[in-house]
Amino acid sequence: MTSALLTLADSRLPAGGHTHSGGVEQAIAAGIVHDPGSLATFLRRRLATSGLVAAGLAAAACGAAAERLAALDDEADARTPSPASRTASRQQGRGLVRVGRRAWPSPLWDALTDRPHHPIALGVAAGAGGLAPRDAASAAAYLSISGPATAAQRLLAMDPLTVAAVTARLSPDVDDVAERAVGELPAATDPLLDLLAEVHAARKDRFFAS
Amino acid sequence: MRTVVQIVARPGPGGRTVLPVVRAGGQLAVRRTGAASVHLVATAFGPLGGDDAEISLVVEEGARLAVRSVAAAIALPSRGEPLPSAQRIRATVAGALDLRLEPTVVAVRAHHQAELTAHLADGAVLTATEQVLLGRSGEEPGRWTGTTRIERAGRPVLHTTVGLGPGEPAWLPPVAPRAYASTVHSAAEGPADDAEVATGEDAVRLPLPGGWVTTAWGTELHRVVGAVDALSPAADLRGTA
Repeated sequence: MTSALLTLADSRLPAGGHTHSGGVEQAIAAGIVHDPGSLATFLRRRLATSGLVAAGLAAAACGAAAERLAALDDEADARTPSPASRTASRQQGRGLVRVGRRAWPSPLWDALTDRPHHPIALGVAAGAGGLAPRDAASAAAYLSISGPATAAQRLLAMDPLTVAAVTARLSPDVDDVAERAVGELPAATDPLLDLLAEVHAARKDRFFAS
Repeated sequence: MRTVVQIVARPGPGGRTVLPVVRAGGQLAVRRTGAASVHLVATAFGPLGGDDAEISLVVEEGARLAVRSVAAAIALPSRGEPLPSAQRIRATVAGALDLRLEPTVVAVRAHHQAELTAHLADGAVLTATEQVLLGRSGEEPGRWTGTTRIERAGRPVLHTTVGLGPGEPAWLPPVAPRAYASTVHSAAEGPADDAEVATGEDAVRLPLPGGWVTTAWGTELHRVVGAVDALSPAADLRGTA
């Protein structure tokens, strides 16, 4: 069961996550992220808000019936009022459904819409892969920072070892977020991330989709 | 101390609104200040840590209600063990509710939790504002956690929790604002109340089905409130007395 979790959280899983920076590209443009320290601050902030929300939704979607999945997708919308963030989440959800269907065949996938929110698709993938809600929460929490960290490394041409260390040092925070998310549907939000997402979406010269 | 406020607004003769229930106990009193408007009046210092206020607002179909307060609330720390103060507003709206309380100032070492839960019927109109300042003049910031959940016809429209102040996740330098304001408007879905995304400096407006939510943050509350107002369509003034 552990290997399914590793696969799910692996950045090489072709689900399209690598085209998203999770707000990092705009945070760099705004001067908020510029070095390893400011990157760690940004990642902690993202983990504690959108990461926590994603972890709660993913845990709830793991093993949920079709009706519950539709209700959870509504809850994800209500927690993601930024249209740019919604689009980013649904694009990644769609990418995960495409690979997940092939990787972990299960009737559970048919309960999803074509473009579910990413955490909902993640929860279904975890369920189809035989994982528990806590595992789904871990994957969601980890993915909320691993993609943005890689994006920052590429955009700022940072030392990969340093960025890997920044991410690794957040492990206790990732575990804490995953632990708190199970059985809850947290709604923690960061208005700064909403603003960055919308300013970014209006740009013509961006490298990342979000 | 426990504070309970209950207000029911009902359509009366000639299209006017009557208030058959106006009850208050604890640290708040309610004054009728217009045909369909009330002001909340604090009758004690605070809230203090450990204080708990529950405000229930019911606006029946065809009725309208405006809720204001007369002065800023200053959340102060508890004397003994550190406890948060809480204010929970539960609104059940089939008519129109316009909720604009004066700012909440959170003193150093205080933690105030504000909660707005609104259940809207299909045709309901809601406008609600929140204004927060962390710390009094020359004082270190306190801590504020605000949760807003709006449901329309049983479906969630908006559910967010914003945490401000030391120890809160979205409050890390260099973006750790002392002042925060937000206005949410939700009406029955229709082009009249739609609004596109708009952004400003430390301010953003996001569309909701039949409405929008505008948020701004910064150092000084009057500037932050100005930024929210600048991004808020005038539609929020309709439907209330």
